[in-house]
Order: sequence, then C-alpha cells, then structure tokens
Amino acid sequence: MPVLTANSRRDLEIRRFPLLVYALVPLIALVLQAWLPRLLRGYVWFDLPLVVTIYFALGLRSPIQGMFMGAGMGIFEDALTHHAIGVNGIAKTIAGFLAASVGVRIDVENHTIRVMLNFFLSLLCSGIYVFIYRVLLGLDLEWSWIVELIKAVGNSILALVLFPLLDRLQIRD
Amino acid sequence: MEPFFSRYRNPLVLLALLVVQIVGLAVQVRRVDTGHSSTDSGDPAGVRLIRLWANAIVSPPERAIHSSKLGAGGFWQNYIDLRHIREQNQDLQKTIDRLRLEQAALLEDARQGQRLQAILNFQEKYIYKTLAAQAIGSSGSDQARVFYLDKGSAEGLERDMAVITPDGIVGKVREVFPHSAQVLAINDQTSGAGVILETTRIRGILRGNRAGRPQIVGILADQRIQPGEKVLTAGGDQIFPRGLPVGVVEKIVRDPDRDSFIQVIVTPAAHLAQLDEVLVITSTQPRFSPEQQQDLATSEALKGPEAAAIKEQKKASEIMAEHLPGLIDPNAPPDKQPLLDTANPNPVSRPPMPLHPDRFTPGAASTPAGTAPDTAAPETQPKPRQTPPAPDGQTKSSTMPKTRPTSPAPTGPSKPATVPKPQNPTPRNP
Repeated sequence: MPVLTANSRRDLEIRRFPLLVYALVPLIALVLQAWLPRLLRGYVWFDLPLVVTIYFALGLRSPIQGMFMGAGMGIFEDALTHHAIGVNGIAKTIAGFLAASVGVRIDVENHTIRVMLNFFLSLLCSGIYVFIYRVLLGLDLEWSWIVELIKAVGNSILALVLFPLLDRLQIRD
Repeated sequence: MEPFFSRYRNPLVLLALLVVQIVGLAVQVRRVDTGHSSTDSGDPAGVRLIRLWANAIVSPPERAIHSSKLGAGGFWQNYIDLRHIREQNQDLQKTIDRLRLEQAALLEDARQGQRLQAILNFQEKYIYKTLAAQAIGSSGSDQARVFYLDKGSAEGLERDMAVITPDGIVGKVREVFPHSAQVLAINDQTSGAGVILETTRIRGILRGNRAGRPQIVGILADQRIQPGEKVLTAGGDQIFPRGLPVGVVEKIVRDPDRDSFIQVIVTPAAHLAQLDEVLVITSTQPRFSPEQQQDLATSEALKGPEAAAIKEQKKASEIMAEHLPGLIDPNAPPDKQPLLDTANPNPVSRPPMPLHPDRFTPGAASTPAGTAPDTAAPETQPKPRQTPPAPDGQTKSSTMPKTRPTSPAPTGPSKPATVPKPQNPTPRNP
C-alpha cells in the first residue's frame, strides 16, 4: 500500500485549469471591478481582483505563482487609478504569497476557512495599502477602517459565491 | 550556494518583487516645495506606458458593455416608448422661445460686461466649444475617484480640459489616451478647483474627502455661510470657466487640523455617481462662439416685434407730451408759468393744506422734530420753502436752483414757490 506523503498529497490537490481560464478570469475580474462601481453608484465594497488572486493562490499552492498573479493584478489596478503604480501591487503580492503559503498547510475546501482567509487577507491588504501610502510615500490620505471592514466582509461573501463557480472550471482527471 | 536559493526561493522571489515595486514607487513620487509628497505632476514615460496598456485592455470591453447597454436602452426609448413625445416637443419649443427672449434681454448685460472687462484689461473666457462624451468606466477603487471617457486625443481631448454637465462641473481630464481619457472627479481627495460662494463671495478650494463628498477647504470660520448657498466656479484655476454651478452648501464643519478654519461640505450639482454623458470644454475664448452668436441673432430677431412695440409706445407718449400743456415751461418767466396761470380754464388743483402741518407736510423742512426753529430766515428775504437754519440762525442755501432751469431774474412781484433762490441768499454780517 503506497504511503501518502506530504508532497504526493500536495501534488494530488493542486488544481489545474485550462490556459484560457488563467487569462480570462483575471481579465474579467479587472474589467468588472472597473465597470461595476458605475452601476453601484460609486460604492466599491468589494475587491474582485483580490478575491481571484486568493483563489488561484490557494488552488495552485505555489507561492511564486500567487505572488506574480497578485503583483500583476495589483499593478493593473493601480494603472487604472491616478495614484502611484505599485501600492496595490505590493499589497496583493504579499496577499498572494500568504494565501499560497497557507494553502499548502490547511484544507482550503472548507468554506469557513475560505471566508476567514478572504476576510483577514482583505484587511491585511488595506493595512499594507495605508502603510505604503502614508508612511513610505508620505502622501495625504483620509482613511476609514469602517469602510475597509465592510469591504473585507464584501470580499468574504463574494468568495463564498465565486469560489464554487471557479471550482467548476478546473481540469479533473 | 544552490541549496540556499532552492531552499529560500519563495522568500527571495517575494523580496525581489517587493524591492522592484518599491523602487518603482520611489521613481514616481517626489517631494514638493511644501515638504509633502506628490505624484500628480505627470507620470514618467514607463509608468504612462503601463497606464496605456491597462487602459487598452480594459476600455474595449467596457466600451462594448456600454454600447450594448445603450443599444438596448436606446431601442426601447427611441422606437417603443414614444408616448407624449409630441406634447413634450411643443412644451420644449415654448421653453426655447422663452429662453431666447430672456437671452436677448441678458445680451446687453453681457456686452456691457465685456466692454468693462476690456477697460479693466481682464478677459473672461466663454465656453467656445464642447465635445460630448460617454463615461464608460471607473478606476474600481474608492480611493481614486476617476472615471474614463470614450473620447481621447484622436477626438481632440487634452490634459486639464474641464468636464461638465448641464447641471454643474464634474472634473478635469487628467490623462489622455488615443481613444479614451481619464477624468479626475471633483470629489477626489487630490482634486482642486477654485470656487466662490455666490452670496458671501468667499473663495476657497474644492476637493473631495474620504467619503467622496466635495468640500471647500482653506476658509476661515464665517457666520455668514449658511446651508443652501450656491457655490460657483471662481475661474482662477485656469481650468473651469467662471460662474459655472458647482453645488450648494450642505453643512459646515470645523477643520480638525486647524482651529480657526472650517470645511464646507457641498452637495454637487452634477450627479457624480451616475454620470453617463458629459461635456468636455475643448476651447474657451474671450468672445461668443458662432453657435452662440447664431442663437443671439435668432433671439434678437424674435425679440424684434416686441422691441418695436415698446418703441412705438414711447414715441406716442412723447408726441402726447408735446401737445399737452406742461406744468413748468423752462422758457417762460416764473410768474407766467402754466402752473400759476389763472386764465387757464382747467387749473391744476393744489392739495388742500393740512390743519396741523408737520415736518412731513410738503414744503416743510426735513429736520428732526424739535431741532428746527420756527423762525428761520429774515423777513426781507424771499422764503421759497422752509429750510433748516444754520447754527447761527442763518438759512442754509438750498440746492433747488441747481436743479431748476436757469431763467432770468424775476421782474415782478416774486412768489415764493417759483422764485429761484440765489446761491447765497443770506449775506453774512461782518
């Protein structure tokens, strides 16, 4: 009887997706993030690119891939604003790294863990954002943690709905 | 060496990514003279390229979504839901006619203003040309109140052009791409527009707060500022023409950083959260545009019959005045004035004299009660009207002769009401 070592278990649980999914899902997330606030009268209570980054980082279980995806999404988001490019990039790079690192160690199929992970990583991203903006760059920025808390809850709810949908896109043997 | 990299591969890659992005941030942010940092003085070429790529990727889907939404909505609105259009059209035509008359009435004021500005060597900029554009997307972040238009440099847009709606100002063009443009809204924290309060004429700078509400900052506490007061553009920022509506004062709060200053929260006139079609001011000139001049000519033509009727009335009244006997003939001596002509079969009736004349009685002095003495002028001098005396008992000279027509000195017995008074009727005693 073969012994299920940590590495083989990890290999078994790595999710694979069609190449088109890697390209289209982040792109759709970015487009919707830019377009949906117009429908919602400017209320941006979610961060769709962050949720997608966390999903792929958890599923791929590769910190490097998670970091690069987070950096790409963050830089893309920054490019659509008038702020300096890299603030969101750094925040989401760290988020991708942590999500992938956590995904190696715990069962990410559990919905509660997914929701908790999204909630805390959203808050962490907000904290990194304000740290970079105020401390590293020395820029003036009014900040409200209530808004960030609402956004973290929004991301968690979004993940609860989006993750099962994205699970259907993976390649199954 | 190889085991080290393979063992710490993930942290090393993380470190490298972070360092690269931090260096990139350091390139973009620079210190300004006030000691603060700034990123809004134009992006480096590499950063602009990244923005261009991001916009090129996001804009086409957004444009497609917006077009399909407009197409579906337009099909319904333009072909199906056309009830009451004829009535609305008639109402609008009436409104246009009324507005044209009002415009013609205001035209003279505008021209006079232009002449005065020319004298003062000040040229106000009029909106010369605008370009309609559709808002197709946003930044996707509540920290950046920017949105994207479906027009770009190919359509003539440039940086720092003002973006407005018929309701009020919206923002300014911050970045221009070939077929799209990024607009910084007035409720962003980094925006700035010179504004003035309509009634109190207090000037300030408008920018957004964390909640995305526009507020006027940098003004001292003033009790005169009340909610409901209109806010207009001041015209000093070289972006927005003067006098455009911005919004109304919603409330006044104390500036948390500076004690004697206040922040005036403004409700924007334009619906910033629901923008669809906007106007970009592509050109401002110190004169009216051809379209505006065409409108004015139409207004003048429409106003023509009305103006002609008023002129006819004025002319008729002048002819009547010539034929009717006047009360005062400037060429006749005072005793021959029509007012005093006893031969006139229809004499002018005088108001009856009051039983108890007071200071309000015609001909009485307009001094406070109790201060005017009863005897004012010597008996030898004519007393055309009771005037307040000088402190030494002398009568002050009246201003009546200055306003009366000049006539030769009276030869007959003078009458108080008609005899012009000399400039200094009471010679001073040495």
